[in-house]
Amino acid sequence: MNQLAETVTPDDIRSLVRPDHVHRRAYADAAVFALEQERIFNCLWIYVAHESQLKKPGDFVRTRLAQHEVLVTRHTDGKIYVLQNRCPHRGARLCMVDQGTSRLFSCPYHAWVFRPDGSLSTVPHRKSYPESFSVDDPQNHMQRINHVESYRGFVFATLNETPEPLVDHLGQMTEVIDNLVDRAPDGEVEIADSSFTLEYRGNWKLHLENAADVFHPSFVHSSSVMPARRAPENASILDQDQTREMLLANGFGTDEWEGVQLNGLPGGHTYMTNFYSRGVLVHEDTDPVVVRYKAALVARLGPERAASVLGMSRFNNIVYPNLIINAQHQQMRVTIPVSVDRTIVRVYCFRLKGAPDEIFHRAVRFLTTLGSPASMIFSDDVEMLERCQQGLAKDAGPWVDFSRGFGSDRHDQDGSVSGAASEMPMRVQFQTWVNHMTAVAT
Amino acid sequence: MMLDRDTQRRIELFLFQEAKLLDAGQFEAWLRLYEPQGIYWMPSQPGQTDPLNVASIVYEDHAILSIRVQRLLEARALVLTPMPRTTHIVGNIEALGHKDGGYTAGAAFICVEHQAEKQRIYSGRHTYHLLPEAESFRIKMKRVDLVNSDGAHAPMAIPL
Repeated sequence: MNQLAETVTPDDIRSLVRPDHVHRRAYADAAVFALEQERIFNCLWIYVAHESQLKKPGDFVRTRLAQHEVLVTRHTDGKIYVLQNRCPHRGARLCMVDQGTSRLFSCPYHAWVFRPDGSLSTVPHRKSYPESFSVDDPQNHMQRINHVESYRGFVFATLNETPEPLVDHLGQMTEVIDNLVDRAPDGEVEIADSSFTLEYRGNWKLHLENAADVFHPSFVHSSSVMPARRAPENASILDQDQTREMLLANGFGTDEWEGVQLNGLPGGHTYMTNFYSRGVLVHEDTDPVVVRYKAALVARLGPERAASVLGMSRFNNIVYPNLIINAQHQQMRVTIPVSVDRTIVRVYCFRLKGAPDEIFHRAVRFLTTLGSPASMIFSDDVEMLERCQQGLAKDAGPWVDFSRGFGSDRHDQDGSVSGAASEMPMRVQFQTWVNHMTAVAT
Repeated sequence: MMLDRDTQRRIELFLFQEAKLLDAGQFEAWLRLYEPQGIYWMPSQPGQTDPLNVASIVYEDHAILSIRVQRLLEARALVLTPMPRTTHIVGNIEALGHKDGGYTAGAAFICVEHQAEKQRIYSGRHTYHLLPEAESFRIKMKRVDLVNSDGAHAPMAIPL
């Protein structure tokens, strides 16, 4: 670890980020990537699972935490544990499926058997081990991640041994998790049992920046905006025109560039105002599904509170470093860095418990339209992220420009920044990046 | 219901024709093989039965497919620059009669897609519900089960 710190010094890192420019090495240097893993992904709270995947003891999901593969489990004590997916005996990977239910995890090599809290239950032929060997010795347990916290069903873990409380890390971003959960008439959301895993050949930060970028849609997505404009309204028998409306919504012009409000928060979190403002994507009172949904929500929250919950319209809420939530469409993305030029994006949606089935069907349709590998929208985004990486890999003209809107940011006393027609979100992300990357290691 | 050899052969030729249209980039002609209410379905999970509560890689009717096809013909589609070239191979075709007077057909497929420095291979099974029309057929439903439907994917552009 210290060797790394010597390779890339804090001064190096500071020299990569100017107020309105970033050096290409931030995206293309493997040593910088390694330091990011150490200083960002090993230090911050990282989303690992949703509690609806862990309803009963033995339920587990397999996922990534920084560069580690971990199991998130529910033990018989009712608590959630995050365990390295590795047998402490000979080091073999233990669990080979993404999720399931198992009261015991058995290593197929020499049959050490573990409980969902990682403790060692049994080893075969106990008597051949020395007397000093104990199944109670933590060294013989699946290694536990010490810090695991949930916020309203969203489970986060961190490898940091002295983390700040999760709610402090989330800051104002708790509001978007609250909003997603509060939209459920039964007060609970459930993650859908289908999701997508997308892979691109580019740095993880490119995806975050793209999700905070209001300028690209009109250019990058014109190949789907144009055909959607020429297509007849309400021609689909499947989706009440939702796909066409979603494609149309990327037809950004001056109104969107200047009208979409961008916000940056301390901690590097950012969000923007929603731009899906038409058709089945908004809750119109002429829509019988929406009438039923609103009635159910009002029954639980009362009319004022329900109106306030439904009135919150924030898009691409990016929880630094890698979680993106869209409460009003019940969508979530997790950006998983694999290497300096390879990233996995997992795309999920949620069911609002107590809402009409059709509301969930629309969330599923949203997931497919925007998050499927065959998405007419995201495939063009990925193409640009990959082209950026290809360009940034070459040492020709080292600076990336984030100057748009620079100087017009509005700074509030609480440390938040707002703006429009701006690359402010990327500047906010990089400010936080520098802070973490140059922090004194603890 | 077993089919007579002539019908079996005509169904095979229809599937070959579809593959050929995709390889030739004749996407509008490809779409004309579909019923006005025809559906193209690519599930995201092996054995998926529910297209509403489970997300699909593609679940589109003629109207949405028309937008997809028009996009394939847009010079501005970034992921289609340069235009990928494909070879769709369809084999192991088995067809049966359907109680509605149409046919069901199953086939194995491989598609090799070449674009600039990238080459990708897709494979899996096709399941068709075909309706007779004049001397040929129309597709009421085509289901594409990728062998890696639930895997990690790069963007997919050309229909399989």
